[in-house]
Formats: sequence, structure tokens, C-alpha cells
Amino acid sequence: MRKVKGFLLVVLALLIAMPVFASGSGETKQAAGTPEDPVSIDLWFGAAITEAGMIPEDWVGYDIIRNELGIDLHLTMLPSNESDQDVRIQAAGAANELPDIFMVRRPVLVNLVEQGLVAQVDDCFAKMPVRTALIYDENAIAHATVEGNVYGFASPGAIVRNEGLLVRKDWLDKLGLSVPTTLDEFMEVARAFTFEDPDGNGRDDTYGYGAFVETDATLKGYPGSRLWPIMGAFGVEGLWSFDSETAGLSIYKPEFYDFMVTLKGMCDEGIIDPNWLSYKKDDFRAAWKQGRFGIMYEQNAAYAATANYAPFDANFPDGEWIVIDAIEGPDGKASIGAYDMNYRIYAVSQKAADEGKLDKICELLEWMSSDEGYYLLGWGQEGVNYVFDEDGIPVAGDLGDNAFTGSKGQVVTQLRNMVFYNGDVELASRYPTYVTEVSGKTMSALTTLREMQAKKWTNAIGSGTMPTPNADVQRYYDQSLAEFLTGAKELTQENWQAFIDQFNAIGGAAWNEEGIAKMQADGLIR
Amino acid sequence: MSTLKTKGKSKDLVLQRPLKSKLRREIVRHRSVYLLALLPLVYYIIFKYVPIWNAQIAFKDFKAIRGVVGSEWIGLENFRTFVNSFYFWSLLRNTVMYSVGKLIISLPLSIVLAICIYECTKPGLRKVVQTLAYLPHFLSWVIMYGILLSLLAPGDGVVNDIIKLLGGKPIDFLSNVKAFPWVVLFSDAWKEMGWSAIIFIAALMGIDVSLFEAAMVEGANSWQRVRYITFPAIMPVIVTVVILKLGTILDAGFNQIFMLYSPQVYSVADIIDTWVYRQGLLEFEFGLATAVGLFKGVFGMILVLFANWLSKKLTENSLF
Repeated sequence: MRKVKGFLLVVLALLIAMPVFASGSGETKQAAGTPEDPVSIDLWFGAAITEAGMIPEDWVGYDIIRNELGIDLHLTMLPSNESDQDVRIQAAGAANELPDIFMVRRPVLVNLVEQGLVAQVDDCFAKMPVRTALIYDENAIAHATVEGNVYGFASPGAIVRNEGLLVRKDWLDKLGLSVPTTLDEFMEVARAFTFEDPDGNGRDDTYGYGAFVETDATLKGYPGSRLWPIMGAFGVEGLWSFDSETAGLSIYKPEFYDFMVTLKGMCDEGIIDPNWLSYKKDDFRAAWKQGRFGIMYEQNAAYAATANYAPFDANFPDGEWIVIDAIEGPDGKASIGAYDMNYRIYAVSQKAADEGKLDKICELLEWMSSDEGYYLLGWGQEGVNYVFDEDGIPVAGDLGDNAFTGSKGQVVTQLRNMVFYNGDVELASRYPTYVTEVSGKTMSALTTLREMQAKKWTNAIGSGTMPTPNADVQRYYDQSLAEFLTGAKELTQENWQAFIDQFNAIGGAAWNEEGIAKMQADGLIR
Repeated sequence: MSTLKTKGKSKDLVLQRPLKSKLRREIVRHRSVYLLALLPLVYYIIFKYVPIWNAQIAFKDFKAIRGVVGSEWIGLENFRTFVNSFYFWSLLRNTVMYSVGKLIISLPLSIVLAICIYECTKPGLRKVVQTLAYLPHFLSWVIMYGILLSLLAPGDGVVNDIIKLLGGKPIDFLSNVKAFPWVVLFSDAWKEMGWSAIIFIAALMGIDVSLFEAAMVEGANSWQRVRYITFPAIMPVIVTVVILKLGTILDAGFNQIFMLYSPQVYSVADIIDTWVYRQGLLEFEFGLATAVGLFKGVFGMILVLFANWLSKKLTENSLF
């Protein structure tokens, strides 16, 4: 018993002492940056495949980076959800414990810059000639610029204009309808899909349009991008209008009210899946695979990639979606949606810069864009995780689970978003043409992407740098529009004006003015 | 100072025992208990008391680069920002509504469940019911949201299917401002009822069985036994639970609301914690977030003191 108590006392003493040692000795020796004395660099990255695991500890890249660059790399995967990422970064920032280099969204970056926690990297681009030529063009640098200084490395994110308006062609054929081209035809098709049993199962279980609320703070204002083709028919797609005549928040355009009336009408008629206000992204995606609706706005890979299309193919071997043109509204306006350049920003903490790590970070990034780094981070090891096909495209071949597409191999490509720039090789490798298992259709997410990109889009480049409102203004904006749609607030001209007046009063007008000033300063008005 | 009353003054001096020495003797005598208490004590010191130092940022314009001490004092500005928020009263109303509502609905249900489990005479059935009742507690709100959507979705939810079958109009429970609060209250009750019942079951186990036997001999029926034996016996536990719950009256369940709410129900769903998440954490207003935390803590403490005083006065049961 005495021994046990003694042991417990020692453990307790250690526990009490732990916080004292947690902060380290206070003196840090500057590492030489050689394989024998490497510089330690902490990198918090956004995973390429969020559902897959962390890069394994025996990843060959660690040794290469240590031996070739003299860097001891420590990786941490950020949460997949953007809000969770923001909280993680901001909490680390509040404690002045940001890692050396980390992925961050622009609104958070602006906060961190205001706090003095992020290093300026204006001089770094000259130190990375290969990477800068490939990735950091003028727009990318502008995206990470705050108050005239560059505070991060912005590299291309998701491919732009990669979403489209899709219609169930098999349903159209069954009901003898043609592809809708105008808003009126669109409504007729939606009604027919809802009330005329397009799947022929004898049950009243289908709807015309399917959606969910997908919003963000700068481009996709409420009710979100999944309604963009309908908004596009009124010319109000995108949170901000960069048009010289209507520059400012789209909500101020009279056509926005007309769009709201149309959408409310769709809700009242029941031709939009009534679950749309409750769906999360995964629910929506499960719903179209179960044949709940016949028109939707979806992303190319989420629709056509092998694994994503397979459940639909199994459920409806005769089913077929087609990408259609933007529908024309009453005044001849049409747009699939608004697009901005998508970037992933990697910022360097001021603490890392103060510790003299900036040059080593530049060295690491430049290496990533070398042939060795590009293929290692993008696809893994040749012969182990990928092989080149006759066109020089990395493919899975017959490498099985270890291939970069396999369950074991995919984890070594978790850093690929740090090197990819949406080049042809990447797209051809990422979206191979394949034959579906059940129906035997030939599918390609790349062909779908090109189809979607060819449609009519609205340029909203610069949206990502626009100011965001405080929580109260944002809530008032979202809540009021939602209440109009659910009927909690009657949608009349009078109520709409009252909403705009109150919105202005609590800070909406100031937000709009700030946005217009930003557009003018950055030359975004077109 | 402890003294032993004796007739002689000199003897009184000899038998006087200094407090320090008594305390030491007490500690040595109960050293095992103190040793056990040391670990939680260390936990509370490190994770609960040391961070109180950082609460000063509630009164500062917190800049991470300057640190807690170096940031500029701004008095009550952060508190003013919170109180002057456009939605302050709505946030406060919703928060209190959910906290009090959960107390009113969940507590009686937990007590009833505990009594039912305790009174159940079939051990097998009791175990099954207990396990099923505890199970939802271990599900995260993410999973619970999926279950609720399957049950309540207006398009194909089980509940709406039944409503439609009976000729009614489907209700979008998760988007309807009238239905949403009930969804929050009853889903919380469903999830936590079994877990909360544990403490009451423990209290019931402590009741002297002979009391029930005597009551039965005297001809008391089940309801009379519950009313005159069970309730009075577990009343101190109920009072303790209520007082402790009042301490966290402004914690209305962030995880649950955050998962379930959406703009269409903000008016009845947005609570102080979700607002702090959006305005405090996402906007890097850590001073504001801390000020709200402090506000909640002080408010909770006042309520605990008041409830304790009231309980002492009315029922003679109190926490301290």
C-alpha cells in the first residue's frame, strides 16, 4: 500500500509540474537546416481526401524533405469543415500558438493580420521562381493581399465553374417533354416531374427541383448557390453585383424581390422538394441518388465521379442526367451562377518569421513544385502508388489498394492540394473515363466539367475579398429571407421594403457601402 | 482554537490544542481520502482556476500578439457590445426558454423513469429498459440530427407520413418556428432522460425498504407509497439537481442547437452560445466571447445563491 501511495505521489508531482515544463526552456537554438540539424516546421494543412486518414508516419516524403532540404516536417490535418477550421486557427491565434505555416480562409486571414500574427511574404515569390510561375499569378497574389501587403501564398483551389444545372432526361422522355430553356418551361417541367409520376412507380414521391441551403459569407448569399440557375434568370446570382450600374449587394436589385416571389411560389406549389430547407449536403446527395427530384444544381465530380454516380446507376440503370443551358428569365437574363477564383491560402505565422524560418518555408514550397515534389505529393511513389500510362498521365494501373485511388494509397496524396494547380495532367488523372458497373454507360467527370464550364456564367471575381458583416446583420439577412420563403413573414412589396429599411438601419447599408468602396479601390466594378 | 473545558486554569493551558496541529492530525488520519482528492484538485487548479486569470480579457481589447497582460483595458465595452446587440433580448429569451423548458420537461420525465425502473419487479425487463434509456445519451447530436430528419422531414419523415395518413398537412418541424422549440425540448429529453435518471435511481436505492414494507402492511397503494415515501426521500436530490441546473441556466445546449438550427428558425433558435460562436469565435472577438462567458457565470451564480436560499426557506433542503 505504501508503495502504491508513493507511486501516486510521484505521478501527482509530475502532473503538477507539467505546466511548468510545457512552455519549454525558453531558449531555442537556431537549427542549421541540414539533415543532421534540421529546421523544424509545423504545417497545418487541408486534407485532399477528408474521409481518408492522416499521412502515415513512415511516409517516404519525411525522409526526402529532411535529407534534401534539412527540414523536419510536422504535419497536422485541419478539420474538414470550414467553420471548424476557422475556430481551430483562431483559437491557436488567440493563444499566439499558430503553427509555422497553415491553411487559412481569407476572412480569417484578415483577422489574423489585424492581430499582427501573420508574416508578410511579399519578398518570398522571387525565392520560388518555379512555383510562382506555375501557381502564384497576379490574381492569386491579390487574393492574399491585405492593405497592400501580401500575407499568404494563395494557390488555385476547386476548379471554377464546375457546377451545372442537370435534368433527368429519362423523365423528360417518359413525359414527352423537351429540355426547358425559359423560366416558364422550367416551371412546367418541374410541375410535371412533381405531379405526373415521372418514375412510373404509381406513388406521389417525386419533386421537380431539389436543393439545399449552401451559403458562404462572400459569394453565395442566402438562399445559396443551389438556387443560382433560378436567380440567374433574374440576374441576381451571387451575393454581390459587380455590374457598374448595380454595384453592391444583389439584395438591393428589384429583381431580387421577383426571384423571391418565384421561389416562394415554387415552395407553395410543392414543386421543390419540401425537405430542401432541412437538408445538409449529404442528405441532398442521397436524395437525388434515390430519385426524389428531376432537376438539380450539382458539382461535376459529385455527380459523375465513379463512386458518386454508382448508387444512382444501381438504383436507376435506365436513368440519365443531362447538363442543360441556363434558363432564360422574363427579361432574357440567364446564368448558371456566379463564379470567383477559388484559392487556398497558406500563411506563415509571424512567430515562424521571427524565428528565421521563412526562407526554409520558401525552400519547402519551391521543392513541392519541382517534378519530384509534384508527383510525390500528387500521386505518391511511382510503381507503388501510380504508374504512367502511354500519354504520360499517372494512373492507378493494377496497383490495387496501394494505388493513389485505393484505400491504402490515397492517404499519401493528402497534401496534393498544395501542389495541384488544375493542370491538364491532374484533371485527366483525377477524372478518368469509365464504364458504369450496372448500366454500362460511359461516364467522365472531366467531360461533364467541360460541359458545365461552357455554359453561361456570371463573373464575380473578387467576391472572396469582399467585406463580411457582423453576426447580427448576417443573421437578419438570412433569417428574413428564410422567413419570407417559409411564410413566417408574408412576402409583399410593403414587407420587403420594411425588411430592406431595417436591414439598412442595423448595418446593412454600411456593409454595402464598405463593399462598394472595396470594389472601387480594387477595380472590381465591370 | 480548540479547548477542553476544565476547572483548573493551568490544566486548561496544557490541554489547549493548536488548530494547525489538529488539522495536520486530521490530514494524517484521513490521508487516503486526501490523496484521492488531490488528483481532482490538481485538475481543477490547472484547468479551472488558472484560466480565471485570462478572464481579464473580458475587459480588454484583446490582441493576441500583445498577450493577456499587454492588451489595452477598455472597461465594460465588450459587455456593452453584447447587451447592445440587435438580438440581445431575443438571445436571452431563447436561451432561458430552452434552459427552463428542458428543466421542466426533462426533470420530471427523468424522475418518472427512475421510479418506473425502480418499481419494476422483473430484473430482465429493468435491464433492457435501462440500457435503451441510456443509449441515446451516447449518440452525438450529428447522429441525432440524422435520426430526427428521418423522423420529422416534411417530405418523407415517419411522423409526417402518419400525419398524411390521417389526412393532415405535413409540418416541417425543423423549419417551422412554432414546432422547432418542441423538437429541441423533446429531442433533448429523449436523449438525456435515461442518463439523468441515474442519480434518482441511486437515491431510490438508498431508501430503507422496511418503509415500503410497513406502508404495504398499512394498506398503502402504489401511488401512496410513491407520494409519501419515495418523493420525500428523493426530494433533497431533486433540490440539489435543480440548484445545480440553475447554475448553468444560460447554457441551453450549444451542440444541439448548432446542429438543428437554420436561418428560418433563428428567431426561436439562436441562443447566446450560438451568437458567441458566430460573433466571438468566428470574428476573432475573444474579449467579447469571454465577456459573455463571464456574464453567464455571474448570472448563474446569482441564481444558484437565490435558489439555495429559497429552497432552504421553503423546503429546509439546500445545497449549502
